Amino acid sequence: MSGSMSPDGLIIQYDETIEKALNNIVKLLKARYNFSKRMIALLLLQEDEEITQLAKLREADFPQIFSIIQQTKSKYKDPLRYVITLQCRQRTDQILSGVITDSKKETRLQSWLDHITINPITGIPILLIVLYFGLYKFVGEFGAGTLVDLIEGNFFENYINPWVNQVTAKLIPWHSIQTLIAFDYGIITLGLRYAVAIILPIVATFFLAFSLLEDSGYLPRLALLVDRLFKKIGLNGRAVIPITLGFGCDTMATLVSRTLETKRERVIATLLLALAIPCSAQLGVIMALLSANPASLGIWAGFVILVFLLVGYLAAQLMPGEKPAFYMELPPLRLPKLSNILEKTLSRMQWYFLEIIPFFILASVLIWVGKITGLFDAIINAAAPLMYALGLPSEAAEIFLFGFFRRDYGAAGLYDLQNSGALNGVQLVVSAVTLTLFVPCIAQFAIMIKERGWKTGLAIGCFVFAFAFLCGIILNLLLRSLGVTL
Amino acid sequence: MDKPVTELNKTASKAPSIRKKKKLVLVGTPNVGKSVIFNLLTGTYVVVSNYPGTTVEVARGTGKIGQEVYEVIDTPGMYSLFPITEEERVTRTLLLTEKPDIVIHVVDAKNLERMLPLTLQLLEAGLPVILAVNMMDEAEVLGRTIDLDALAKALNIPVVGTAAAQNRGIDQLKRMVSDFVRKHVA
Repeated sequence: MSGSMSPDGLIIQYDETIEKALNNIVKLLKARYNFSKRMIALLLLQEDEEITQLAKLREADFPQIFSIIQQTKSKYKDPLRYVITLQCRQRTDQILSGVITDSKKETRLQSWLDHITINPITGIPILLIVLYFGLYKFVGEFGAGTLVDLIEGNFFENYINPWVNQVTAKLIPWHSIQTLIAFDYGIITLGLRYAVAIILPIVATFFLAFSLLEDSGYLPRLALLVDRLFKKIGLNGRAVIPITLGFGCDTMATLVSRTLETKRERVIATLLLALAIPCSAQLGVIMALLSANPASLGIWAGFVILVFLLVGYLAAQLMPGEKPAFYMELPPLRLPKLSNILEKTLSRMQWYFLEIIPFFILASVLIWVGKITGLFDAIINAAAPLMYALGLPSEAAEIFLFGFFRRDYGAAGLYDLQNSGALNGVQLVVSAVTLTLFVPCIAQFAIMIKERGWKTGLAIGCFVFAFAFLCGIILNLLLRSLGVTL
Repeated sequence: MDKPVTELNKTASKAPSIRKKKKLVLVGTPNVGKSVIFNLLTGTYVVVSNYPGTTVEVARGTGKIGQEVYEVIDTPGMYSLFPITEEERVTRTLLLTEKPDIVIHVVDAKNLERMLPLTLQLLEAGLPVILAVNMMDEAEVLGRTIDLDALAKALNIPVVGTAAAQNRGIDQLKRMVSDFVRKHVA
């Protein structure tokens, strides 16, 4: 069995200490295994749980073996597993040094590209360029601007909505049922219009941009670039994928956070997504609101980034559990294939439609119920003191209430409020910040509970709720006491 | 003390030459083309089932290579013999208990340097290993050449270059399997 390996032709010659330990352990091993005794000894040295259990049961001399392992361990400051892996790698490099030849031309261009994308000095400007063209220009201006105007401003406003309103008014005699389907908050005129005319173009352009970055191999490089920063907030570079995806749709990002390795990372990522990452729909509306005044936009962005880092840092300090390690393979940069990108984008859009549309309809229905029963008015009245603490008019409560049903409903409500001239500059920034931080939308909340369980999901929800308003109040006090006018 | 690990092992170690079907196990990290090779080696009759006590799937099929009929097993992705994930644990248990007659380690030629440590581990475990360096076509496009003969010499095992998706090198792999098993039994 194990004798099939010749004892003299060692595959890997480890350092003296390890070789000595291995030889001593091998001598003590009496049972038969399907692996060579040398491998069993290696696994024992690395404290492999299963093999240790097995040896405990089957080796009379296990106590001696155990003491060899302890002695050997004490001679290294790194874990033995690390030491052994490293020596195995070195042997691999040695074997391959004469075996692999990579033609120089390709590698030089590649390593240059690797270098400039990973090095912070060039990497951060490249990231900003990618964000500017990918997110701001393509998703923000083209998706949220041009396409939304076309579909919602032209198609829905001029054709679908008037037609639906007319038909509903004709066919259904009861006013309350009419408003369920049509008019200001109807399932078709609001719920579906939002889904198809506003969210879909934004999400489609975002997913297109995201798939492009994903297939070009840029994301792993971005992960490496932000790894150090992310480690401070309890995550590692790998989390760049769910976090970036969050700018498209936080609900989908929360689902994707299951790819993170430890429970601790998953909880922190879920928290940060719920709190400080605005989704593309929200981002579009808020950008449109604040971009008229660059100072407002700056305060909003600065404050939200600050909250993101602060909460992440605190969470990393407070949460128990293993610190994340980071190892990610760097695939080569390559030109993405158009067909793959389109396929990915389409399947993501399909997912989005199937998962999210029911929540849109549900949100419309809940808003309808809330309006009809007067529940909303009661909540809005009850929230007046909170609005006062934020320095906002009481109408603003409606925005936050709607914000729960869809983050972007809230943001869009803000848009209406500002158009009516009810908010000054400071109030606008305060409400934009609070709304960005405020509770995730109903769909994201549902996914949070599904993915992280009742206790964690609810705890994150409550924390975000309280913390968003606290931040809003602080920002309001700060801006006012500094006498800022925007 | 001299008890074998499992029942399976007992029958295997007592009379390896009487066993009708030889056991061929494919191992490697995810996405190196194990399943493509599995499909090329096996016929149509394939059983995919959960490994006992786990949710991890293991595919087993039957294939004729040379004159011999083999049970071919496609294992869950494994990075190292020191398991971290449930998939890796299943694959190691399988290697540890099922006494394969031949283990084909499938690696990605583009990432050979990251995958060869597992080859070394498999060899150190005393397993009968053939190395299949897959995706040779993609490595060539990237400007990489691999001296397979030198590698075979350094490792002292059969090494074959394949591009399984193009069916390239599969016949050579089969020949190597036959030769290897013949030599091993003799």
